[in-house]
Order: sequence, then C-alpha cells, then structure tokens
Amino acid sequence: MLNSSAARTLSLMAAKPQRFANFAEIVGAAAKKPRTMATNVADSDQNTTKNAFSNYATYLNNLNDKRERVVKASRDITMNSKKVIFQVHRISKHNKEEVLQKAENDLAAVMDQYIARLVKELGGTDFWKLRRAYSPGIQEYVEAATLCSFCKTGALLNLDEINASLRTLGDPSNEPLQINVLDYLLGLADLTGELMRMAMTRISDGELEFAEKICRFVREIYRDLRLVAPKMDDSSDMKQKMEVMLQSVMKIENACFSVHVRGSEYIPFLGSEDTSFSMLGVPEIE
Amino acid sequence: MKTAFRSAICATLAFSSRFLNPTHHCHSLILLYRPRRAALFPSKPSPFTSMASADSSDAALSPTIHVLEKQFEEFRHQLDDSASLRERIRSVSFEIESATRLMHSSLMLVHQSRPIPEVLEKAKGQIDVLRGLFCKLAEIIRECPGQYYRYHGDWRSETQAVVSVLAFMHYLETESLLLHAEVEEKLGLNPSEFGLDTEDYLTGICFMSNDLPRYVVNRVTAGDYDCPRKVLTFLTDLHAAFRMLNLRNDFLRKKFDGMKYDLRKVEEVHYDVKIRGLATNAESKGDGEKS
Repeated sequence: MLNSSAARTLSLMAAKPQRFANFAEIVGAAAKKPRTMATNVADSDQNTTKNAFSNYATYLNNLNDKRERVVKASRDITMNSKKVIFQVHRISKHNKEEVLQKAENDLAAVMDQYIARLVKELGGTDFWKLRRAYSPGIQEYVEAATLCSFCKTGALLNLDEINASLRTLGDPSNEPLQINVLDYLLGLADLTGELMRMAMTRISDGELEFAEKICRFVREIYRDLRLVAPKMDDSSDMKQKMEVMLQSVMKIENACFSVHVRGSEYIPFLGSEDTSFSMLGVPEIE
Repeated sequence: MKTAFRSAICATLAFSSRFLNPTHHCHSLILLYRPRRAALFPSKPSPFTSMASADSSDAALSPTIHVLEKQFEEFRHQLDDSASLRERIRSVSFEIESATRLMHSSLMLVHQSRPIPEVLEKAKGQIDVLRGLFCKLAEIIRECPGQYYRYHGDWRSETQAVVSVLAFMHYLETESLLLHAEVEEKLGLNPSEFGLDTEDYLTGICFMSNDLPRYVVNRVTAGDYDCPRKVLTFLTDLHAAFRMLNLRNDFLRKKFDGMKYDLRKVEEVHYDVKIRGLATNAESKGDGEKS
C-alpha cells in the first residue's frame, strides 16, 4: 500500500514536465474522434456489458445456491456423526457389541442419507472449489467412522477403506466423492480428543487394558501426524489441532501413569458415565 | 518444553488428587473391587518400565501399527508431491506477477499524458509473455485433473492483477469493458481445462476501476476535458452491472463496495469540469484538477 502510493506520487511528480509537452497531441487525438459515434459505441457496449453481467449473475447465483446446499448437507453430516460419536461413548464393559452395532448402523445411515446428498451436489472441480463448505462435515464423519472402527477392531480405518465405501454411493456416471488426504488427517486429529474421553471413562470403569490400548494407539497417531502436519496445505489449522492433540495424548498418558504408580490405591469410579466425566475434569470438547 | 512439562505435572496432580479424595460412596466400593484389581495387576510391574516398553510388550498390536505407518508414509509422499507442484505453480505466478508489473508500469505513462497508442504498444508486448506463462500454468494443472481449485490460491491474486491491467488497456483502446470470455481469449486460456474463474475476473475489474479516478484527474490536467464524461458513463454502467450480482460477503463484495468511491471521485471531476464550462470548449487548462 505504502509502496504504491509512493510510486503514485513519484509518477505524478514525473508527470509534470511532460504534461505540457504532450498537451497538443492529446487534444488533437481527442478532437479527432466524433462525439456522436462515441455515444453509439457506448450504447451497444452497455448492452453487451449487461448481457455478460447477467451471465455472471447466473453463474454466481448457481454457485452460491450450491454452496448453501453443500453447507447444509455438511451440517447434517456433522450433526449425525456427532450422534454416532456419542453412541460410541455409551460403551461399557458389558454392552460393547450392542452399542457398537447401533453406532455402526447409525454411521451407515449417515452415509446413505446425508453424504449421499452431498455427493449428488458435487462433481468435477467442485471437490476442491467447495471444499471449505463441506470439509467440517467430512472431518466429523471421518472422526466418527475411525472411532467406531477403532473400538471394534483396535486398528485405524484407512482413507482408502472409507473412500471405497463412498464409491458405492450415487449413480456410477457421476464422479464419486473421494475424501481428500487433508480432510482425513484433520478428522484424525479430532479423533484423539474423543479417544481421550473414552480412555478416561474406560479407566474409571476399570477397563485399564483398553485405556492402555488407546494410549498406544493415540501416541502412534500423534507421532505419525507430526511428520505429516507441516506438509499440509493450510497447516495453521492443523498446527492448532496438533497442540490440542498433544494435550490429549499427555492426558491419557498421565492417567495411565497415575493408575500404574498408584495401582494399589486405585479405586475405580463406579458411577454412571456422566458423573465420572465431570469428576475426572475432562473439558467438554466440541 | 518447560511449560509442557509443568502442565503434565499439573494434570497428573489434578488427576491423582481426585483419587486420593474418594467420596464415601467410593469407599464402600473398595472392598467390592479389590479382587478384580488384583486380577488386573497380577504382578505389579515397575511403573516406569511398563510405560516405556508398552509398544514392544504388545506384539499383537505391531502389525496394525505397521499398516498405520504405511498409510502415513503414503500420505507423506502425496503431500510432498503436492508441495513440489505448488512450488512450480508459485514460480510461474511469480513470473506472471513481474510481467504484470512491467505492463502496469508502462501503462502508468498514460498519467503522464503520453499518447495512448504508444503506451498501449509498450504494454502489449507483455501479453505474449503472459500467454506463455498461463499456458505453462495450464500444463502444470493438467498433471492433476480436477484440482484446479486446490491450487487456485497460488495464482489467484496474480490473475486478478492481470485482469485489471488488461481491462484498463482495453478501456484505453476501445472505451468499453473487457469481458470475461475476452480475457480468456487474450490469455489463450481454454475454459474446459484451465479457465479464468469468474470471481477472479470480477475482482480484477474492480481493481481496474481503482485506476480510473487518477486517470481522469490527469487527463483533465492535461487538457482533455471530455474524458471525465466518458469515464463517468463507463463507470456508471459498470457499477450498475455489478449491482445485478448477488455477492456474498467476501473479498469481491468489499472490492465492489470500494467502486462507489471511484465513481464519486470521477463524478466530482466531471462536475468540476462541467461547472466551469470546460467540457464543451477546451481552451484553458488547470482548473479541472481541483476536486
């Protein structure tokens, strides 16, 4: 800004001597052009401009409408994925299969209803153009899907596996939505927060082995993400998530540590999940 | 590091203090729970070694960790590739920027009352350079079909500047607006694979309007009293055309909002010229600049 204004003043100053030298030429050039012709040209120009701008207006309207629909679909995905995550958190020693089964059904419903709606909207270059509009929903879905799968198999659900299930959606003539690496990784970063909560409830429920398993898993994900995070396109978002993630990892580690050190004094809480949440002081994470 | 360590300690303390202060309700459960706890810790390991050897102790988990690592390695390669692509795009857009700057600086001569054809000729020399650069950009994007908008940000502002310069040149030449399709044609872009984003075009046009008040002021100073009227008609039409668009609350909207100040400035110049009767008979110079 400063530079351009400086350049402006400079060129203004430079303009002074030449202004008078070329004066005659300018006036001559201006006088050559008949005024009537200029107005005719202006009239037809006005029409072409109007036509062109009505095209641009249509383009922008369509784009904005589509973006709105995508945002809505994304919001629905977020909302319902969150429900799946809550469902997974209802897990306890005895109802594991049952709870996970319901969570998986819900997750499949999210895919069939809401992600399918998103897929219908997107095609071609939209995947990247409208990424901001649908990214939050997809991240939340990744979070829910990986959480479910971790509880069931103890392993990380790969991006390829999620994308393979997406390929079955929508009609085959359409280019299928494929979750990009960035959204997947951002979703994974959020997964740690959920796993931290889960580890805390598992500990208070006396399932120490499961908590330790979570601890190892989360630690490994953090380690791997550390290498990948700086390479991501908009790494500022990820950087913040990495900090939160480290805190989650440390919280789990410290919990496991406490249990180990004070093994003989350790008293598991046997309340409902909700009370143990608040007693452990786990901050509510969105 | 220090703060991380401190917070770790705090978290541990906070955590343990809750266990050290069990409620009465929990006391009653201790007895119930003893046998189970014994089962969980058959032989009490040293706390530190067990934490450290967690990875090796669980042999069953290592294959899944291996799979996990493999996936991340793949991601790393993908992201590295994308970063090098971005690097190439950036170097091209850097060249675009410098070519545009050259054009812009030759166009500035118009404020110094150089004859328009001369000014344009100099600037036009760079169009071929730009054409070549955009062709290069299109070639790079061809390597990753469908990802135009992934890297869009890397040439976005440069392209907007290009549009603004081209549109200004076009205005000087024809006194009309350079349309979106015409920009694509000038730059040799193929809309089906590497087109000009409509919003970029519109933003570029807004940038162009910022140049007009200065142009008008200097033309009047140089004695061209008809210029304000023509620019005013052009800019009024342009502003009216922009008002047809439903803009979102974004950068383009902001730029469009700025256009009315350009319009006002040109109006003022026009008023100054007209009220002094300069517009019809171009005899004296100097008064028109006041505004």
